[in-house]
Amino acid sequence: MIPQSHFLILGAVLFTIGIYGALTRRTAIGILMSIELILNAANINLIAFNRFLGSPDGLGQIFALFVIAIAAASAVVGLVLVIAIYRNSKTIFMDKINLMKW
Amino acid sequence: MNGLIQLLNDVLNNFGMPKDFIIMASFYFIAALTCLFAFMVVTSRDIFHCAVFLAATLFGVACVYLFLNAEFLAVVQVLIYVGAIVTLFIFAIMLTTKIHDKAIRQVNRQVLVGGAVALAFLYSLIAIINQDPWKAGAGADKGYLGLDELGRSLMSTYALPFEVISLILLAALVGAIVIGRTYKE
Repeated sequence: MIPQSHFLILGAVLFTIGIYGALTRRTAIGILMSIELILNAANINLIAFNRFLGSPDGLGQIFALFVIAIAAASAVVGLVLVIAIYRNSKTIFMDKINLMKW
Repeated sequence: MNGLIQLLNDVLNNFGMPKDFIIMASFYFIAALTCLFAFMVVTSRDIFHCAVFLAATLFGVACVYLFLNAEFLAVVQVLIYVGAIVTLFIFAIMLTTKIHDKAIRQVNRQVLVGGAVALAFLYSLIAIINQDPWKAGAGADKGYLGLDELGRSLMSTYALPFEVISLILLAALVGAIVIGRTYKE
């Protein structure tokens, strides 16, 4: 039997890797990928708690399902924004996009 | 297949290995591989390789879901993430950057600071996780959730959030079309 804390540590490691990617990537697409990693780490935690603490109607799994749907929506909108920005300013590097800074 | 795993388990038990050795070994193998792929996602120089490693990472997470008795979530993960979102990422990469352009720097100047922050964060998270013994809850035996039960509670108890999610997906769809279209002068 795998203890619950090992699942939580796996989630923490994935979360940390996602944080590192979101902090250090230069391209907007790389940052969006890191955010997907973070959401997956949260999902692992939700399903692990559902498995080990138990819930009457599978709330953890349903919540993870909702997180997946929200992640899909956010990825779509984020990537379309990246394409729109690229069309206007011909770059996807976040340190070059300073249109809204004074 | 189950008989084979049982046989292997019995053989390994004779050599003094703990019970469920195969399940535990495969879990740790898959977890390590997932972390390695995730690390490649954030460090690889070629952004196209990042997308491929992201697909591998998400597949590994789907395998981890199988260890948590969440078969439906594992299938949904492969269908939506690996099938749809990674494809979307690859399309976005092809539409914006030159794919094989390794000369471009992919990380900003915050690598050391970002790494330090991430490591400190990981240390504190693991310290917090290790503080609690994580006793199993009352319903832990009922951790297995069949597809029929999942669908029933999705359609009865959680019907309202389910509908709201569909609304959000519709809004994202319309918003993506509106933002992405080109306007003629």
